[in-house]
Parts: sequence; C-alpha cells; structure tokens
Amino acid sequence: MTGAVPRRRFRLAPYIALASRAMAREATYRFDVFGSVASVLVRLYLLKMVWTALYAHNVSPSELPLHAIITYSAVALLMGLVMDIDQTRALHDRLHDGSIVTDFLKPISVPLGFFADGTGEVLFHAALIVPSLILALLFVHIDVPSAATVVVFALSFILGYLVGFWINFILNCSAFWTLEVSGVQLIVTWLTDLLGGEIIPLVIFPVVLQKIVFVLPFAAMFSTPLLIYVGVIPPAGWPAALGVQLAWALGLGGLATLLWRAGARRIVVQGG
Amino acid sequence: MMPSRIGRMLRVYREYWRINILTTLEYRANFLVWFGFTFIYHGSALAALWIMLTRFPSMNGWDFRQMAFLYALWMVAHALHNTFFSSVGDVPDHIRDGEFDRLLVRPLDTLFQTIATPGQVFPDELILALVTFVAACIYSGVHVDPVFVVFVPLIAIGGALIDLALNLAISTTAVWFVRVDALRWIVVQLEQEFTRYPLGIYSRAVRILLTFICPFAFINYYPATYFLGKTDGALGLPPIVGLLTPAIGIVFVALAYVFWRFGLDRYQSVGH
Repeated sequence: MTGAVPRRRFRLAPYIALASRAMAREATYRFDVFGSVASVLVRLYLLKMVWTALYAHNVSPSELPLHAIITYSAVALLMGLVMDIDQTRALHDRLHDGSIVTDFLKPISVPLGFFADGTGEVLFHAALIVPSLILALLFVHIDVPSAATVVVFALSFILGYLVGFWINFILNCSAFWTLEVSGVQLIVTWLTDLLGGEIIPLVIFPVVLQKIVFVLPFAAMFSTPLLIYVGVIPPAGWPAALGVQLAWALGLGGLATLLWRAGARRIVVQGG
Repeated sequence: MMPSRIGRMLRVYREYWRINILTTLEYRANFLVWFGFTFIYHGSALAALWIMLTRFPSMNGWDFRQMAFLYALWMVAHALHNTFFSSVGDVPDHIRDGEFDRLLVRPLDTLFQTIATPGQVFPDELILALVTFVAACIYSGVHVDPVFVVFVPLIAIGGALIDLALNLAISTTAVWFVRVDALRWIVVQLEQEFTRYPLGIYSRAVRILLTFICPFAFINYYPATYFLGKTDGALGLPPIVGLLTPAIGIVFVALAYVFWRFGLDRYQSVGH
C-alpha cells in the first residue's frame, strides 16, 4: 500500500498539531495527577527502605554505594513517568475498531503521526517530573553529577525513549495479525521493569544474568542513561554506550518499518 | 436469614461459576495470554527478590528461602481473593456507568450480586499459587506440624478476607467520590509490593499502618514470622499474633460491610 502512494514533500506542521492535540486530550481526561505523583513517591519510599535494609546488613558493592543506588532509583522512577507510557496504544486501538483506515487517507506518514501523538502525550506527562522531584527531595537525597554528565544523560535518555517507542510500536503492530495484544503488552511492561534495570540496577545482577540482560534492547531504555547518571559508565565509556543505544534505535526502527509495511498491505478490518 | 434464601443464593452462585468456566473455555487464547501474564507477574517478582538476595544475602535477617515463603503465603491469599472476590473492585466502574442501579432493584443482597456477577474468572492463579506455596514450603524448610496444617488454610482465607475488606472499603468510597483510582492504586501498592519484604525494614508509621489500618502484614509477615521462628517482631508483638489472621480478616470484613451498608444508604445514582 505505501509503495503506491506518491512521495509528498515533508511538512512538520501536521505533526506539531497532532502532538499538541494529544497534550490537550491528556489534560482533559485519562490523566490523574495525584495518582501518578503518589505512585512515584510510594515506590521511591519502598525502594529507599529496601536498599537501606540490604546495605545495612551486607557488604556494599564498591561501584554503587547506598547514596548512588537511591539516586539511581529516584531518577529511574522519574524517567518511568515518561517511559512507562505506551505511546502507540492508539495504533492498537485504531486497528481494533477499524478507524485506522481513515488514517491511511490522511496526507501524512501514519507511523510518524503516531510518533507525534505519542510524544505529545509523553511531554504532558513529563510535566509531572517537576512536582514529583520536589516532593521526592523531601525524603531522599539525589546526587547531582557534573554538567557534562547531565547533558550526556539527557542524550542517552532520548535514545532510550526512541528504543522504548519502537518496542511499543512493534508490539502494537502485532495487532495487524492477532488483534489482541493487551495481555502481551502487560507482560512486556513487567519484563522491561526488571530486565531494563528500572527496579534493580543491572550491574548488581548475578554475573551470568548480566551477560544476557546487557545484550537485550531493554538495557538501552533505562539502564544506560541511569548508569551514565550515577557514574558507573565513566566518560571514556560514553561513546560506546550511546553507540549501542543508537544501534538499537535504528535496528528496531528498521524492523518496525518492515512490520508496518507488511501489516499495512494485509490490513483486515473486523466488522463494520 | 431463611434457609430457602440461602439455598437460592447457593444456586445462583453455582450458576455463576458454571458461566465463568464456560466463558473461559470459549476464549481460550485470551485465557492463555492472561495465564502467561499471571505467571510472569509472580515470576518476575520472585526473580527480583532472588537477584537482590543473591547480591545481598540477608534482608533484616531474612534470606531468600524465607522471603520465598513470605511471598508464597501472600500469593495464596491474594489468589484466593482474586478468584472469589475480585469483582468487588468493579463497583466504582458500575457506579460510574449506571450499571450499579440494576443490582439495587433486584431481590438479592447487593454485595452478593456484586460478588456473583459473572466475569471471566478461572482458578488458574489459585492453582499456580498453591503449587508455588508447596514448593516454597519444601524450599524454605519451614517446620510443618499440626498447627501449620490447621492454621495455614485459615490464614490464607483470613488474608483473602483482609484483601476483600480493603477492596470493599475503597469501592464504597466511590459512592461519594466517583473516581477512586488513585486511592485504590496506593492501597494496591501497599498490598502487593510492601508485603514482599519483612515489615521491619519500614519506618514505624508504615509498620503501624500495615498492622492496624490496612493490616496487610497479617496476610503473610506475622504468620511467616511465627512459622519460620523469626524473632524480628516489627512492633514488639509476640510471634503468636501470626495466628490471629483469620480473626482479623473476619473483623475487617465486618467493619467494611458496615461501611458498605452505610454507603448504600447514602447512594445517589450518577443519573443516566
């Protein structure tokens, strides 16, 4: 299907409009400020208590002292406000109810449209980082690294966001074939939390497991930016770390494009 | 209550389970996905504990074997609740969409109808929980004596009742506040995540909260402390309080039921 459509000149305006519409939609419903902020604080309290207890009774790892691991958890939870959103859920929903056909009629790239929509949603949620951070600082101390580290962390965070976007996109693309992915989506969320290093830093996994989790794409979502932030990945390791993230973002993006083309060609709309 | 009325309720309840099982058999693929979800949810929770306690062998004096028993005890009570009472959590949705009004005009107790409204429930999580529990008993080397055999089923039921009581109390608040998602979310965190760790790691206020207000510590922590012969009674309570779970379950369900009746008397439909 995409092959038959003549190439149009790329215009940014429609995507900005889609993103701002998504922000407006989030502001009016589906959005629970109190619930989201409270969730971060409750989980942060829990992780602080868990790590404090574990560090109190055991030999602590030299590369990650207690204050570093609490910083890690706090930054991970704040990142989760943005990363744990399934930005391409709309793709699944529109495949499910058939409204995807009208998207194909629009003079835009449909995947980019979903990206713009998802980014709008995510930017709105990103606004929650500020109040969550202020409240979090009331009961935990968060280390602040050098300006250079913060810049590289931000870059790595954006690459991680892209990797997460493509993983979600690929999963939601599977609705072209199965039409039911909600359970699968939840399974992947739980796996990402654990295998991406959102809850437990991957560097304290048993060595055998580290060999596996560090080659999975989930590590590129949470673990890499976080390890840069807390200094476990030193400046000398930054180019390689960002390079791996970039490779995942491009590779998964390519896979997603292939799946999208294959799916769009065989689109079946249920019912009417 | 007259015997004929109880007989009628039992007939309705039997019919409920017949429909549930028939529905589940109809949607086999869905069932498999949800079973996979349940399996991965508990599997990743246990894996996270295992990873933490491989790196740090002790948490407040508890090792992984004992924490596996702690988790499995919670899992049985939680699965019992999910299998038999989870529809109580749907009340706020039914109030919002007006569906609840239909239950009020029928000639059977409203709470009974809520519990006996067919959904898609299957005892898969309960079976998984029982298997996990037996495995955890063997693995942890807990001392199985007549007290254990008599009390564990009662404690599991008591734990499920504690879950039910809090679930019902939150659902009842929907009579006044149409949206109760944030409150439910916090209580779910307390029930599902805070119960994974020994109570002693928390600050005093949280220990009191989990013992007397949302008594989730009685689902697994206090009984596990008693059965494993631990001496870290978090609030200085004697270990024998671990056998009080059934009584606490009954008292809390009774209190929640009184609150529920109070709420029903003040219920005003959202109007449709």
